[in-house]
Amino acid sequence: MSILANKDTKVVIIGGVAGVNAAKRMAQFDFLVNRSLSVQAFVYPPEEGQQKEIYRGGELNNISVYSTLKDALQENPQINTALIYLGASRAAQSAKEALESENITLVSMITEGVPEKDAKKLRALAINMGKMFNGPSSIGIMSAGECRLGVIGGEFKNLKLCNLYRAGSFGVLTKSGGLSNEAMWLCAQNGNGVTSAVAIGGDSYPGTDFVTYLEMFEKDPETKAVVMVGEVGGTLEEEAADWLGAEKRRIRLIAAIGGTCQEVLPQGMKFGHAGAKEGKKGLGSARSKINALREAGAVVPDTFGGLSKAIKQVYEELIANGSIKPEADIDEALLPALPPKVQEIMKQGDVIVEPLIRTTISDDRGEEPRYVGYAASELCEKGYGIEDVLALLWNKKLPSREESEIIKRIVMISADHGPAVSGAFGAILGACAGIDMPQAVSAGMTMIGPRFGGAVTNAGKYFAHGVKEFPNDIPGFLTWMKQNVGPVPGIGHRVKSLKNPDKRVKYLVDYVLNQTTLHMPCLEYALEVEKVTTAKKDNLILNVDGTIGCILVDLDFPEQSLNGFFVLARTIGMIGHWIDQTSQQSRLIRLYDYLINYAVKDEREVPEKK
Amino acid sequence: MAKILEGPAMKLFDKWGIPVPNYVVIMDPERLLQLGEANKWLRDSKLVVKAHEAIGGRFKLGLVKIGLNLEEAYEAAKEMIGRKIETAEIRQVIVAEMLEHDAEYYLSIAGNRDGAELLLSQKGGVDIEDNWDTVKRLQIPLDVTPSIEDLTETAKSAGFEGEVAERVAKIASRLILCFDNEDAQSIEINPLVIRKSDMRFAALDAVMNVDWDARFRHADWDFKPVSEIGRPFTEAEQQIMEIDARIKGSVKFVEVPGGEIALLTAGGGASVFYSDAVVARGGTIANYAEYSGDPSDWAVEALTETICQLPNIKHIIVGGAIANFTDVKATFGGIINGFRASKANGYLDGVKIWVRRGGPNENQGLAAIKKLADEGFDIHVYDRTMPMTDIVDLALKA
Repeated sequence: MSILANKDTKVVIIGGVAGVNAAKRMAQFDFLVNRSLSVQAFVYPPEEGQQKEIYRGGELNNISVYSTLKDALQENPQINTALIYLGASRAAQSAKEALESENITLVSMITEGVPEKDAKKLRALAINMGKMFNGPSSIGIMSAGECRLGVIGGEFKNLKLCNLYRAGSFGVLTKSGGLSNEAMWLCAQNGNGVTSAVAIGGDSYPGTDFVTYLEMFEKDPETKAVVMVGEVGGTLEEEAADWLGAEKRRIRLIAAIGGTCQEVLPQGMKFGHAGAKEGKKGLGSARSKINALREAGAVVPDTFGGLSKAIKQVYEELIANGSIKPEADIDEALLPALPPKVQEIMKQGDVIVEPLIRTTISDDRGEEPRYVGYAASELCEKGYGIEDVLALLWNKKLPSREESEIIKRIVMISADHGPAVSGAFGAILGACAGIDMPQAVSAGMTMIGPRFGGAVTNAGKYFAHGVKEFPNDIPGFLTWMKQNVGPVPGIGHRVKSLKNPDKRVKYLVDYVLNQTTLHMPCLEYALEVEKVTTAKKDNLILNVDGTIGCILVDLDFPEQSLNGFFVLARTIGMIGHWIDQTSQQSRLIRLYDYLINYAVKDEREVPEKK
Repeated sequence: MAKILEGPAMKLFDKWGIPVPNYVVIMDPERLLQLGEANKWLRDSKLVVKAHEAIGGRFKLGLVKIGLNLEEAYEAAKEMIGRKIETAEIRQVIVAEMLEHDAEYYLSIAGNRDGAELLLSQKGGVDIEDNWDTVKRLQIPLDVTPSIEDLTETAKSAGFEGEVAERVAKIASRLILCFDNEDAQSIEINPLVIRKSDMRFAALDAVMNVDWDARFRHADWDFKPVSEIGRPFTEAEQQIMEIDARIKGSVKFVEVPGGEIALLTAGGGASVFYSDAVVARGGTIANYAEYSGDPSDWAVEALTETICQLPNIKHIIVGGAIANFTDVKATFGGIINGFRASKANGYLDGVKIWVRRGGPNENQGLAAIKKLADEGFDIHVYDRTMPMTDIVDLALKA
């Protein structure tokens, strides 16, 4: 048995992320005691229509978020309890609405810093409506073996340590949230655990007082004693003492009262909960509470540490007089264990999960990204550049200084080729249409293909083939190409020729062959091919795509990476064009009619639809 | 609870039609002379000058001067501003018209669980404590506004007569309006004075507490509450308050000069029990501290460093209940860093540290803090099986 919350308690949580976290904790308890999910709905207007994923053990539940309590209750008429997890400025209005809802009989509020006037009004409203309002500033309510409202009881392990999977014989009442958990632990360690535990909150005017809950415990046959943790301020503890002393009570009362230190502190120095304030002339002092409770017959130890002994003593007395029949503890092994997350069991090596993807180049699970094992910051610090990172990520090895100088030059001379070419023009069209940078640059990027910029890979591929299969046999290579491929990729230029050479090609070839010590078999082979082709036709020169392709093959870049150099280099240019057009606020481009040959049918009448 | 100074209280009185004397709050005595040029009442009336600070017993400290003309008020202000009373410095004075009056009354209102209680007496002024039996009370239920007739009845039962009773009832009704609409917790007007020649009333002194939690609905609250600990805050206390205002959860810190046992305790309920345990065992606390609501580790680290710097401490109690959701591993991470930094800066020499805690990730947290022993800390670590405040007993026996 229990008070306030039981197996039939069905909950709506009003509030955002803190409320969802509470629901997760509550579902862990539901799993432990094998009850149905206690949280049935959320109310939080900003997230209306969403569903929150709540695991009860391994079972995944999707709980709806409503924008109004009315909607939530209409669709979930089984709900009888509301938990308030809103901020202080909105909590009171929401609690009022909940108390005024027909099906809801209990409202508990965790919100701290609720204005006193609001709390007082809520208390009065609850009394008028014949309902329970618990809080503000309440960590929640726990009924062992039956229901958990809020995060009271802490982590899953602690629920077991405090025997909360089944009812004991002790009720717990506290103002403080932390001490409700402590008191439950003490009842499990020194007694047989709790029936229900209620944190009423440490504000000046809690919605429900100790006496109301003591009455409820008195009527709960399974509760044999109550541990009450009070403190200086207000008169709830004195009222509890009056209640205890008024007539013979079935339940025993054990109490601890905080705040005796204020007797010796400098005058006016006060701390602790908002409600922990002594009134005029010692009214509500810890000492007056302790005395009143002791006189009424409660067991009140001198310090909180003395509670352990007091509980043990009362427990033994209750066993001795037959009120409590001790039960054997349930074997821990028989209790359900929370299903672990995949990451946790993988760590222990108890499960094999086939990875979805595999990477061999990059890892950012540590403090910073590592490229093929090297920390990015260390590369920076040791003087490496973007060309080295490129080589690491595309080819998994650090280039030599000569190699990285070549890579850098390839990117530099390929970065842009004016606004007229397909890629740049595509990006400019996009910029002028007002679209954002990633989309506009992608528009340019989609142009890269067989007719624009796509020759680097194939040039590298076929010249490499020539070096391997037709060394010293250029004619043989050209015949093979003619039969199997067609024109040699990387050979030929629309405007440039032997007499009007491509400056970029001349520079690159000269740099690679004369300024470095590298061995460049593929490039040299291509230059031999060029000698043969230009003999046939003046413009069949080795073009820039062919040159770059061959150099990269000689630098040992994988064939499929070669086009990446063009993609990367031109991205720099296209971003530049987008920025240029956008900062000029260029207008939308529309082709002039005179640039279009309208080779269309004459105007004619549309026939009737058959 | 937030006590506010007389100036802002007078402003709220004026807003709700409670008669107040003319007054000004100044930080610079020269300003008073300039105000004197602009305000006839400053030149013509007798004046009172009071230190406008949260200092108790101002009269005895010579921080209230009465019956002055403008020149004397200027001299009094000059003398008070800048004076130091223990750790407090007087920065402002309030200069008010000292209304010549025929009688001093007492009028107050204080909230309680069921609403508020109005207190009324004809014997106001400094002797009210001795005349407490003359005070008449009226309980005002929540959401009820007493009629002028009811209030007049109460006034009459307190001995007020005729027009005075009616006027006092009117002022009481305005006090109730002010109390209710300004989210006040208590307002005391002592004395409420009357000059019978022209039936002029004025609240000559005001002690007002407002509910600081309600500030979100009071756009015109341009004041700050004064310290609730009976003295102005120290610099270290202010630093922790600034951190507290920035984080989720909270960190709190109050210095208690002369104590030997420092507290680094968790939770608003448990922390008080730790203070109690120290006192109950004959020890003296050097501070009160509290971290709760799963605060960030850096905030707990700052609190730790502040506590380690308290003078002449012999023990630090790192105590707490079994937390519901404050992560022990994370918060202890902050405490461990704070201890290390303090030791490196020359603190904690000869200080014994006593730890007891439970809650989420308690095993990792306790294991981590226990390792400080390997770094030369005199640290004693206990888990949830140690009764909560018994580490205080161990410390005091050590």
